[in-house]
Amino acid sequence: MSIEIQNITKSFGTFTALDGINLSIRNGELVALLGPSGSGKTTLLRIIAGLDWPERGAVRFNGEDALERSVGERNVGFVFQHYALFRHMNVYENVAFGLRVKPRAQRPSESKIDAQVRRLLDLVQIQWLADRYPHQLSGGQRQRVALARALAIEPSVLLLDEPFGALDAKVRKELRRWLRTLHSEINVTSVFVTHDQEEALEVADRVVVLNNGRIEQIGSPEEVYDRPASAFVHDFIGEAISLPVEVRDREVWFNERPLPLETQGAASGPARLFVRPFDMSLVTPGRGRAHRSRQGGEGLRPTSARRGRVRPGARRPYCS
Amino acid sequence: MTVMDASQVRVGYEPRAMKRTAQQDDVAVRWAVIGIAVGFLSIFIVLPLIAVFTQALAHGFSVYAAALVEPDAIAAIRLTLIVALVSIVTNLVFGLIAAWSIAKFDFTGKSLLITFIDLPFSVSPVVAGLVFVLLFGAQGLFGPWLQSHDLQIIFAMPGIILATLFVTFPFVARELIPLMQQQGTQEEEAARSLGASGLATFFRVTLPNVKWALLYGVLLCNARAMGEFGAVSVVSGHIRGETNTMPLHIEILYNEYQFVAAFAVASLLALLALVTLLAKTLLERRIGKVKRGVH
Repeated sequence: MSIEIQNITKSFGTFTALDGINLSIRNGELVALLGPSGSGKTTLLRIIAGLDWPERGAVRFNGEDALERSVGERNVGFVFQHYALFRHMNVYENVAFGLRVKPRAQRPSESKIDAQVRRLLDLVQIQWLADRYPHQLSGGQRQRVALARALAIEPSVLLLDEPFGALDAKVRKELRRWLRTLHSEINVTSVFVTHDQEEALEVADRVVVLNNGRIEQIGSPEEVYDRPASAFVHDFIGEAISLPVEVRDREVWFNERPLPLETQGAASGPARLFVRPFDMSLVTPGRGRAHRSRQGGEGLRPTSARRGRVRPGARRPYCS
Repeated sequence: MTVMDASQVRVGYEPRAMKRTAQQDDVAVRWAVIGIAVGFLSIFIVLPLIAVFTQALAHGFSVYAAALVEPDAIAAIRLTLIVALVSIVTNLVFGLIAAWSIAKFDFTGKSLLITFIDLPFSVSPVVAGLVFVLLFGAQGLFGPWLQSHDLQIIFAMPGIILATLFVTFPFVARELIPLMQQQGTQEEEAARSLGASGLATFFRVTLPNVKWALLYGVLLCNARAMGEFGAVSVVSGHIRGETNTMPLHIEILYNEYQFVAAFAVASLLALLALVTLLAKTLLERRIGKVKRGVH
């Protein structure tokens, strides 16, 4: 299922949560909505799900208007940040819920429900927890139950709100690799929200970077990392060093020395230069300029040489 | 290594002094405080309870039983049971609705509504009864209209039920609001996203999540409905065999110096209190478990 989001605007009182969002998600894609808290990413996810409604704009599933339909009619699997498992039901019943509440005509037989639930528990590798109650589970196990429950209704879209936010670092790393593998197995269009750039870059096919209710950049993990579209993205994703520089006569000056960089269209006057720490090297003064081409390496993405970026509007504080 | 050093420093202190906590200051003080608490409870609660039962059985069990099967007593017990049942059902429904709306939605006037729910707790029951007399009595606001339609509310069962509803309303709602607020709306949202209808969500998710608190509220509501004296006394008219509830019947018997009969009926109410207490203890354990399950 493809998702088309057009000009979505949503505010809470005087606070504008989303401001003219345009985004199209292809069938079978795994997309991350990445941004700091308050950037509107969860609101966007809830609007796609049908848990919130925008003031303006359109949401289309496969070209059909989704805003006309309630959350129950959209056939979305939603994994909540704190899982929202039904606390009075065991794992098995949690997963079976979506099948049991189907209208009588569409409800599968008890044996089919059983087969489906077993298959899902198998898929998320928690068959042995079927009789446990949510409070008897660890965070990672709850996460898997929530995912199995959402998948039970065979959703055409899977939406995950901070899926790994409440887990400790080790479990988080395991689970996100597992989610990546799972997605390639079931191949359902998926959108997840995260504030963790590492998570977004590692798991997603495409990353949507949000800030203050606007989209800063949409691109593959390589694109947003290597070719950030704005100062915010450069600062927010990956490590960045920000240097106060000055643009004079189409040259970038730092500390009263000209740097061999293009001004990239920045106007004359004070500016900020963002650079990845590993793209810079310190050399003895007068020993010439180091031009070194980086190769792809452990934990690093392939980069080209000298990718310092110049942005106008020096000293403008960037949210992060 | 640093950890080892730290523990050795600790050992250097007197271990006994380390173990003493603020509560364990003085054995004498501890026993004095416990003694006062137990003594107070014995004198003001346990002793009267024993007195009720000894008085009731002072002339043997046959006299005790006779006081309970006497027609006026049976009528009073019957009326009390009907009033309690109606109060429970009504408060169950409206308490649930009120708690639901307060805990799960945001709307203007919400805090006002919460204040109103507490009103019966702060108003004297006599005032509550008088309100209904002023509204539905012969000289009341709706009095002439009711008379012309031959409807009687005051000095009849409807008035007694209204007064009881008024004083018992907070119990269910008060019990549910904090729990529902703590549980939030995520599970309901999850249920809706899985395709459950509003009704299915309510009966499969919301209600099971609050069932123990609901039962607890009902229990308190029932105890108050059966025991209510002031508000009911104002609107009842004390017609024997017709509008006397158990508490009113007890008062009449007592005023007529029929002590054994009075205490016999009173012992029934006291028994109810004990059963309520037991059920409450059991329920609190359940609720405690459910709450721990949350985290």
